[in-house]
Amino acid sequence: MHNELVDLINKNVPGASATLNAAPDAKSDSTISVDANSIFKVVQFLRDNTTMPFNALQCISGVDYLDYMEVCYVLGHFDVNAPRDLILKVKVTDRVNGNLDSVVSVYPAANFQEREVFDMFGIRFNNHPDLRRILCPDDWQGWPLRKDYVAQKYYADMEVYPDGKMNFEDREFIVRQDMIKKAQLAAAKN
Amino acid sequence: MQSRWDIGEPEAPTINKETEQLKSELLTLNMGPQHPATHGVLRIEIWTDSEIVAHAIPHLGYLHRCMEKHSENMDYRGVIPYVDRLDYLAAMNMEWGYVMAVEKMLGTEVPRRAELLRIVTAELQRIASHLMAFGTYAIDLGAFSPFLYAFDMREKILRIFEEVSGARLLYNYIWIGGLWNDYTDDQITRVSAFCDEMLVEAQKYHELLSMNKIFIERTANVGVFSLQDCFDYGATGPILRGSGYKWDLRKNKPYSLYSEFDFDVPVGTGEIGQPGDCWNRYIVRMREVVESVKIIRQAIAKLEPGSVMGKVPKIIKLPKGEVYVRSECPRGELGIHLVSQGESKVPYRLKVKSPCFTHVSMLPRVAPGQMIADFVATVGSIDIVLGEVDR
Repeated sequence: MHNELVDLINKNVPGASATLNAAPDAKSDSTISVDANSIFKVVQFLRDNTTMPFNALQCISGVDYLDYMEVCYVLGHFDVNAPRDLILKVKVTDRVNGNLDSVVSVYPAANFQEREVFDMFGIRFNNHPDLRRILCPDDWQGWPLRKDYVAQKYYADMEVYPDGKMNFEDREFIVRQDMIKKAQLAAAKN
Repeated sequence: MQSRWDIGEPEAPTINKETEQLKSELLTLNMGPQHPATHGVLRIEIWTDSEIVAHAIPHLGYLHRCMEKHSENMDYRGVIPYVDRLDYLAAMNMEWGYVMAVEKMLGTEVPRRAELLRIVTAELQRIASHLMAFGTYAIDLGAFSPFLYAFDMREKILRIFEEVSGARLLYNYIWIGGLWNDYTDDQITRVSAFCDEMLVEAQKYHELLSMNKIFIERTANVGVFSLQDCFDYGATGPILRGSGYKWDLRKNKPYSLYSEFDFDVPVGTGEIGQPGDCWNRYIVRMREVVESVKIIRQAIAKLEPGSVMGKVPKIIKLPKGEVYVRSECPRGELGIHLVSQGESKVPYRLKVKSPCFTHVSMLPRVAPGQMIADFVATVGSIDIVLGEVDR
């Protein structure tokens, strides 16, 4: 199914440069990567085509791989005869001004989902009707689900992140701990 | 960043000398964060034109507990109690969804008895969750007594769960590879007895509420989600089925052993009101209770003695890759997007696609033009649990 979809996307959406990330075994899912600039056209094409349509957007999820960030669009086809799922990925390399085209006009479901990705990863969505934080307060600082995130110490005069509250040595993910140390050193220098 | 008020003011009415006396403006009203109809801490900012809702803007995040961030710091087993707390009214189903994702990446074989008992547990939990939905929905609409009947029956399920898992609400019972504890024969008998009792009670509920004239007046033809809206917004579960679309993962994309079971998928047919309105969503839930009883009875008949725990390594390390696993929860489809980078005992990323989050985003679509009281009925009918909306 994924091979056909890659051909279909490449044939119909110029510049999409879709590639298949095939899963080595049944333990993981195959995904399709497309070019970040063409995401709107690809999603629109996937909804409107007649060969392999997808009638619903299930969720949008972000992943931070340190070198780049990835946004995964999970599409689904709610059809009794041919149910299918697709994980469609785009890469965002700019950690400061990373932005993507919003797909709200294709799937209204993307409205809240894109707001959540913006809230958690700081990726902006162009042409989004109402892009603001959704789970964190509006004046929260930083992008919480990035791996190099350090929580702010005070929020609205409350100490929300006191020293020694978290037991970092025991359980903290090691890569992230390094990132946090680097970030703290950089902050101390400035 | 944009301020929260920068959402586009509605056009101010033109004022001239003749109409100056008649000028009107929209009244902003906060429903929540503490409001009985929101079943938790959800704030809906509604802009009303007298009794009519003009805009509804949900504000989420009051129950945000950073669950996705926490789970990046915990081993795969340690995440299970956190997943419990997402949907605290259907914790078993949440656990099962997460555990299935880990098991898929691990390639674990779950013993047959464990799978069957998981089905029994998950369906019991579905009944408990739908009973809660039934009771609280009646309270939203001003009927108090159905709530007492619903809690009476729900209590029986919680008693069984307490004996089996040791906890009443947040169980940590479905473990990676199987179950924490086996059901004893006595407990299985009690589950069967509960099933018989539930069928009688379900009939009583229909007489008490479903066919009640006042209830029908309040819910039929109110808050209609068209089928197109459901697909556009990605609605699942009783919302999608209430709109008349026969879609149930247990039937259409069966996971676990559901393909062996014989049950119907109730949909909103519009015998009262029209498909997609509050009454049809409600009746889908009530009919699902009966279907769940069917599934439990079949699962109990299939039970054979055996182990309830498969072979799982002591330290779980998943191979590099990612999965998106869906499962049918009482409120809709739960999706778990799990990413592993290999050689690590913690998830690299765990994204939970919660059904209610999607359904809350539909509220601004249906609210304009409704009366405030009808809007309360609509919010109640999507059966929100804020734990999973805010995560």
